[in-house]
Amino acid sequence: MKFSNEIKVGLTIIVATVIFILGVRYFEDLPLFDSTYDLVAEFDNAGGLIGGNIVRVNGVVVGSVEDVYISEATGKVMVEFHVDPNIPVTEGTYATITGFDALGVVRMDLVLGPADGPKIPEGGMIAAGTGGDLMSDLTAQAPEMLEDVSSVVDQLNGVLAETNAMLSAPDSDFRQTLTAARGSVEQIEGLLASERDRIASILSNTDSLTADLNASLGEDGEAVAALIAQMEETMATLNEDLERFQETNEQLNELLQKLNNGEGTLGLLINDSSMYHRMDSTLSGLNGLIADFQSNPGRYLKEMKIVDLF
Amino acid sequence: MVKQTLDIVLNPLATLGRYSRLLFHAFGAVAELSIYRKNLWEQMVKSGVDSIPIVCMAAGFSGAVSTVQTAYQLVTPLIPRSTIGAIVVPSMILELGAVVTGFILAGRVGARIAAELGTMRVTEQIDALESMGLNSIGYLIVPRVLAGIIMFPVLYVAACFVGIGSGMLIGDLGGFVPAEEFLVGAREFFQPFDPIFGVIKSIVFGFLITSISCFKGYYTQGGAEGVGRSTTQAAVASCVFLLLADLVLAATLL
Repeated sequence: MKFSNEIKVGLTIIVATVIFILGVRYFEDLPLFDSTYDLVAEFDNAGGLIGGNIVRVNGVVVGSVEDVYISEATGKVMVEFHVDPNIPVTEGTYATITGFDALGVVRMDLVLGPADGPKIPEGGMIAAGTGGDLMSDLTAQAPEMLEDVSSVVDQLNGVLAETNAMLSAPDSDFRQTLTAARGSVEQIEGLLASERDRIASILSNTDSLTADLNASLGEDGEAVAALIAQMEETMATLNEDLERFQETNEQLNELLQKLNNGEGTLGLLINDSSMYHRMDSTLSGLNGLIADFQSNPGRYLKEMKIVDLF
Repeated sequence: MVKQTLDIVLNPLATLGRYSRLLFHAFGAVAELSIYRKNLWEQMVKSGVDSIPIVCMAAGFSGAVSTVQTAYQLVTPLIPRSTIGAIVVPSMILELGAVVTGFILAGRVGARIAAELGTMRVTEQIDALESMGLNSIGYLIVPRVLAGIIMFPVLYVAACFVGIGSGMLIGDLGGFVPAEEFLVGAREFFQPFDPIFGVIKSIVFGFLITSISCFKGYYTQGGAEGVGRSTTQAAVASCVFLLLADLVLAATLL
């Protein structure tokens, strides 16, 4: 099938137009078929931001900057940009310019407002956050930092000068201390030299003592080992005894506690005074009875006549 | 001696004047386009549609080469690999897409137009057209120049598409930069005006190449040798003025 020239040309132009539009939209970070969501942000300093730089939310690319210009009315930097319409850019959202101007990678970061807030309308204004660009911050702080550094260096210089003076002055404490230390060291050296023989003999004595000890331990090794084993056994028995003693102690404790609490007969005996009172009254009764018996034994022994029978 | 010196100055001026007169006649003949519509379609196919394969091939190679050479030059680990995309894509859109297309078409279309018209001139076919009452400028030149103006942007788009695609493909296959990073870099540094500037360039190039070739062919003199001379001059002059226009456009519009 042969196409006419008109069809060939028309088809070519249409395909090229479609590729052009879609390509430009793609490279502009625009959604290929959706509409866009345009917003404006206001800054004091653009920090090198230009059209085409990316816009990110939490580090995700969601759109790009369209245009950066100075507002004639306020003199501030206005940044027109567009983002994915599905991003919830709510009230409270603010924008910061981040990145490193010197490397040419400047971008705009959006920090979204609360998710349940009302969405900012198309073309709405977004506040600038307090981010600032790293380089300008550094530049702003550089004079202070330099002052700090130079004062530190000045102080260091002073300290070094003082140290130098101290070291060079012949009558300074430092010098005297050093001289005294040197004297002590010399004395110690002299002592070592004069007492060399004695020190040597002490060392050799210690040597021989250690050797003797070693030898005796080597000879009587078995005996020592047996002794230690016996001692171990004894200790083990003692341990057992102690354990048993402890058990007994615990039981005794329990018993005493019961007694104190008035549990059981013994407890009652100790703690309950009613028995004493009853015994007291009984004893006094008995006393009376015995007195009566002594005075009138016949009354009690009347029935003992049977004894007489024998 | 004075005359020779004057000629050096005056001959280009005379040529420019004749060129302007031809264009003036051509613009005056645009109204007659409806009569020669069929010619326009034919020229659009010959200059535009038929040139797509060669333009795509040239652009594809230039895109691939720019990617490889940019990757070769970026040896510092400090610079992210996405920079390759940020360099290749704008250079393709701004410069290579239009200029490579222009050079290819200066050879392919410019030479063809000059040879066609030159042969028609030396074999007196143009005089025959005139004697038949046809406006030879409207019949021969207007469709060719218009076809150039309309089809060059189309070829530019094709060149950019293929060039960027091949650059990305070579970057990915050659292990220089993954396709995603290439596109991230390209998108980060994309200026919306770039493709518009490219289209403006391609329209200007299309006009320059076709009109210069038509001029050289239309005023051919002296048999077969004259046709050869016109063809050569058409191709060379097209390239020279294309480069000149490139510089002027970049200086004025960017």
